This record gives sequence, structure tokens and C-alpha cells, in this order.
Amino acid sequence: MNSSAPGGVPDMTDDDLLATLGQALAAADPMPDHVAAGARAAFTWRTIDAELAELVFDSANELAGVRSEDVNRQVTFQAPGVEIEVMVIDDSTRRLVGQLIPPAEMDVELVAGDVVTSQRTDHLGRFTFDLAEPGPVRLVVLGADGEILVQTEWVLF
Amino acid sequence: MYQGIAGALLMSVGFNSAPSALAERVQSGLMDVGALLQRVNEGDQSAWDDIVERFGGLVWSVARGYRLGALTDDVVQTVWLRLAEHSNRIRNPDKLASWLATTTRNEALRVSKKQAKSISLSEYPDASDSSVSGLDELVTDDDTLGHVLRAFTQLPEKDQELMRLLCTVPPLDYATIAEMLGRSIGSIGPSRDRSLKKLRKLLPAGLDDQAQRQRKDTAE
Repeated sequence: MNSSAPGGVPDMTDDDLLATLGQALAAADPMPDHVAAGARAAFTWRTIDAELAELVFDSANELAGVRSEDVNRQVTFQAPGVEIEVMVIDDSTRRLVGQLIPPAEMDVELVAGDVVTSQRTDHLGRFTFDLAEPGPVRLVVLGADGEILVQTEWVLF
Repeated sequence: MYQGIAGALLMSVGFNSAPSALAERVQSGLMDVGALLQRVNEGDQSAWDDIVERFGGLVWSVARGYRLGALTDDVVQTVWLRLAEHSNRIRNPDKLASWLATTTRNEALRVSKKQAKSISLSEYPDASDSSVSGLDELVTDDDTLGHVLRAFTQLPEKDQELMRLLCTVPPLDYATIAEMLGRSIGSIGPSRDRSLKKLRKLLPAGLDDQAQRQRKDTAE
């Protein structure tokens, strides 16, 4: 790298400069302690035995130009033999409506941090939750004995 | 011994912002990601904590690039919750940095599109972003990091976006950066050169001496 640029820094290589920038950003804007604590605590939520329903569709991932701003956020989770479709029907009240496919009357839970809300789906497999707090949530479908049949990935609505 | 605000900052906030110390540990191979992931999959919390320590700054910095304000915390938390359940599916430990960065990007974009509904991007209030005020405080101090940071914040957004991804610890490969920015791999090198040239033009003359001295002191 030559030194012809006005106000240039001849003695710093490009790699040096990038490393210094990395240091500067980390010093000025480090990960806050409470965020680090949350990251460490995330491990305690790990449940490896239950079937994980993966996020297979999210309307928020569609191209912005294609998506009307009035369309509600729609998300689909999928595990072998079951789909869970969810929609946020009102951004202000943050009401979540969803359905199990195939339809079945089951106990479902909304897990938001330490707060767990339970509900029985109707005969069409439908359920409704209000998202009281911001932050990542997951849905859990329970079996007859209260065991976890399937749970969704964590998602931020 | 050189001791500017940067040095004081680095010491005061611990591992979160000590990339040089972290980089040394990475390079010396004291922490092998594959072995850490193995222990994580066996339920070892301390191995998980090591992963958070090593990659936490990367996830945070990538998330901060999307200017999400208070939502940044939720995005980062979602990424770690995801990893906790996907750790046993990461076949190639070398790809963990890439996986974390792209997952962070995906989560940030979902949220930022939702935000864009109520506030158009051009109106987005940078001033309410705590990182900006934090940067301002630092750049008033006359030292190398402050100068580099001041120059960085004066760059066009596109250049900032790229450079932020180019200076992470641990580093991201060009393929990942290209995918995250929606560009071709071949464009990253030339863009890097252009952005660095712009950055150099914004730096005050004579900074190199100071930079050299600081690097020398850091190495000692």
C-alpha cells in the first residue's frame, strides 16, 4: 500500500487498519454484560430430546417489494408429521393465532423466557396467545401425559 | 507504557472487548471449536460459556450493524437460543462463525423489516441508538482508536456495513460476507480495497506513528 493518499497512513497495512477498527468497535460498543449473561443462560433452555419443528416459512423473509405492509406476519414450523402455522394478527396487541396441521385437540404452550402460557386447542387445532413481552418465544405441543411431543424453534415476532 | 482511553476501556470491560487477547488465544489453538462443540453437545455448560466468550463479540457486532436499537438484545438472544439447539448439527466447526453471522443477519432482517413498517429507513433516528452516543464519547479522545472510529462513522453506510464484517474476531470468510451482503465473492476484495482507501483519507496525517507505538506496546 503506497502512501500517496492525502492524509494517508503509510505505515499501517490494510490488515493492521482493519484490526485496529475491530478493536475500536469492540472498545466503543462491547457486548453488554446482560446480553452476555443471556447468551450463557440460553444453554439452560436446550432440550435435545423433543422433536424440533423447524421454521420453514416466514413471510418476513419474502422480498420487501413483494410483500404488502398490511399483510400480517405468517410463520410455518414443520416437524415430521406435523405443521404449526402461526400468524400475528395485530401488531399493536401482538395477538398470535395458530393452527396445528393435521388438526387435533392438544395442549399447547407458549414459552417466553420464564413465562409459560398453556392452552387447549379446539377441534380444528386452533389456538390464540397474546405476546405480552418482546423477546424470543417458542411453541410447545404436549402429549396426553404432559410430555413434549414437538417444540418449535425460537422465533422473534 | 502507552495507556490511552482505549487501553483503559479494554481492561475495564473484560472479555467482551478484548479482541487482541482473544485473538491470541484463538491463534495459539488453546480452544478448539470442534472439541468445545463436542462438550456442548454432551451438556457441558462451561464449554458453552467458552463458545459465548469466543463468539459473543462477533454476534454482537454483526447485530449492531443493523441499527435495531433495543431490539438488538432480542436478536442476539434468539441467535444463542438457536445455537443451543442446533449445536449438534454443525458438522464443520470451522463454519461456526459463519453460521452465527448468517443466523444473526437473518434474524436482524426479519425484525428490521417489521420496524420499517412504522418508521421508514430514511427517518430512522440514529440519535436514539445508544451505540452512536457511545461512539461519540470515545471519538472525542485523541488516540488511535478514536481516530479510526471517527473516520469509520463518516464512511457511507455501504462501506461501514462491509468493514464491520471484515474486522470481526474471529474473522469471517469472504464467501460468508458475500452471502450476507448479497454480493458476489469476487466483489469483496476490490470493495475492501476501496473502503479502506476511503477510510485512510478520513484519518488525520501522522496517525501511523501513534498506531505503531500502540501496537508495539500491546505486543509487549
